[in-house]
Amino acid sequence: MMAQPSIHATTAATSGGTVPPLVVEHMAKSYDHHGRIVPVIADLSLTLREGEIVSIVGPSGCGKTTLLNTLCGLLVPDTGNIRWHGREVTGQPQNVGYMLQKDLLLPWRTALGNTMLGLEIRGLAAAEAEDRSRALLDQLGLHGFADHYPSTLSGGMRQRVALARTLVNEPDVLLLDEPFAALDFQSKLLLENDMLALVRKGRRSLLLITHDIEEAVSLADRVIVLSKRPTQVKAAYEIELGSDRTDVIALRERPDFSHHVRRIWADLDVVLQ
Amino acid sequence: MTADVDTAMAHAAPPLAPGAPSSTRRRWSRLRAAIAVLVTQLAILIVFLAFWEHATPKNSAAAFMFGSPSAIAGFLGQMVRDGSLWRDTSITGMETLLGFFVGNLVGTLIGLSLWYSRFVSRVVEPFVIALGSIPIIALAPIVIIWFGTGLISKVAMSTLSVVIVALVTSYKGAVGVDPDQINLMKTLGASKFQIFRKLVVPASLTDIFAGLKLTVGFALIGAIVGEFMSSSDGLGHAIFKAGSLYVIPKVFAALVVTIALALVLTFLVGKIERLLMPWRHHV
Ligand SMILES: Nc1ncnc2c1ncn2[C@@H]1O[C@H](COP(=O)(O)OP(=O)(O)O)[C@@H](O)[C@H]1O
Ligand SMILES: [Mg+2]
Repeated sequence: MMAQPSIHATTAATSGGTVPPLVVEHMAKSYDHHGRIVPVIADLSLTLREGEIVSIVGPSGCGKTTLLNTLCGLLVPDTGNIRWHGREVTGQPQNVGYMLQKDLLLPWRTALGNTMLGLEIRGLAAAEAEDRSRALLDQLGLHGFADHYPSTLSGGMRQRVALARTLVNEPDVLLLDEPFAALDFQSKLLLENDMLALVRKGRRSLLLITHDIEEAVSLADRVIVLSKRPTQVKAAYEIELGSDRTDVIALRERPDFSHHVRRIWADLDVVLQ
Repeated sequence: MTADVDTAMAHAAPPLAPGAPSSTRRRWSRLRAAIAVLVTQLAILIVFLAFWEHATPKNSAAAFMFGSPSAIAGFLGQMVRDGSLWRDTSITGMETLLGFFVGNLVGTLIGLSLWYSRFVSRVVEPFVIALGSIPIIALAPIVIIWFGTGLISKVAMSTLSVVIVALVTSYKGAVGVDPDQINLMKTLGASKFQIFRKLVVPASLTDIFAGLKLTVGFALIGAIVGEFMSSSDGLGHAIFKAGSLYVIPKVFAALVVTIALALVLTFLVGKIERLLMPWRHHV
């Protein structure tokens, strides 16, 4: 599956000079709330490098979802610019996958039908779309469930289908907004592991929004901490946890793991309400 | 990695065993509950009919005023024998079906397409409310002047009784679609038409079918009101004629047939719903 290693491998090999898939510069965004302007994002810059996984954590209501919706063209920033592969885009950027906490599966489509949705929209031949979707569902452990309707699947399985629907389009960049927040701890760890393997293998870049600091540290190469509203980048940490980052469960055992978690926790400055 | 994922999934989600004992047991208890409901309904009906029969002895004033189940059954038998039952039912049924079909088709098409433009739907809204508040009966004389006393005027009455409800319910379904779902379609690169066809229309089916079930009765009422005003056949005509001749059991007999027609049509809509929305009955 994911048959595009050649291009990515070469660009990665000659890295350094390549254009990052996503650069955000001095972006600001406010809402018009009944005639009153509410600034949400004050001034935000970030770069997502090729093949990099970046987690964004921040207090609830600080504008993480707003940021993601702006990045994928659903909202228009007030100021600043967003460059995908070096270019400013109006409307929806190409080759970007988007996934939310809600699985948003269409109840009238089977797991397979839901997975195929993006390929169908892009007009891919049905047979090829089906082959690719089935293969990916198999890889995500959903063999035998392709023809099930979402209502017959567990929460974890549904989120796997949602991930398959995102990945089957072979996006260069994934934008994930608290995708595992609704899952129980075990399903979450397993799905994190599987997602990580697929993202790393496909050399995709990932921007992962989460409120779960441990999730952020265990998955990401870099964690960006946002301040309270109006939002700015408060801190950024490179997460060095050795070369083998494929097993999120083993990673959590490392002593430097809890060190990272504690530092970010302190930054978040969470107060009891 | 495949092996890893497979063992992982064994924890994440135990495969659903088809036909597990609990599911058959559940089906049994659901069937038992359905039977209990049906038996109770029949019991109520029988008690009611027995009381009615007992309270209205033959040739009494009460029998003249209220009819009696046996007299009604007698008229039903007579209507079957002289062929009027089938003729009236099929005529009213045809008017109802045509009005139901045309009204829902037009109403649903307009209702769904209003999703396309907030501007147009806001312009149209007060007109729709105004039209919806017109009692259809008041239109009957005009409809008959315009369309004559034949089939067309009854179909028109039936259509008018249906169209606004169909429009409102389908529009409600279309604008009720989860905005996150629409955003997702956009990020997948869907055009407005693709969003409409692949998301909005199927997502509105639940509301559309709720409208269909509601409008079966409205379509029938429209047809019968049309027949009341001017007609030489149909169930509405039979009711009207028997009523003006004070043959009350015959009025009831025609009403029974009307109710039966409504039940059959509602049942058919339910069948079609099941056929078109299999995912809702797949649990
Ligand atoms: N459409 C909107 N109109 C007005 N205010 C909004 C809108 N969407 C979000 N907000 C406000 O913007 C802030 C940031 O929201 P959001 O991006 O969802 O935060 P987060 O995802 O970090 O929890 C919140 O205070 C929220 O109330
Ligand atoms: Mg959010």
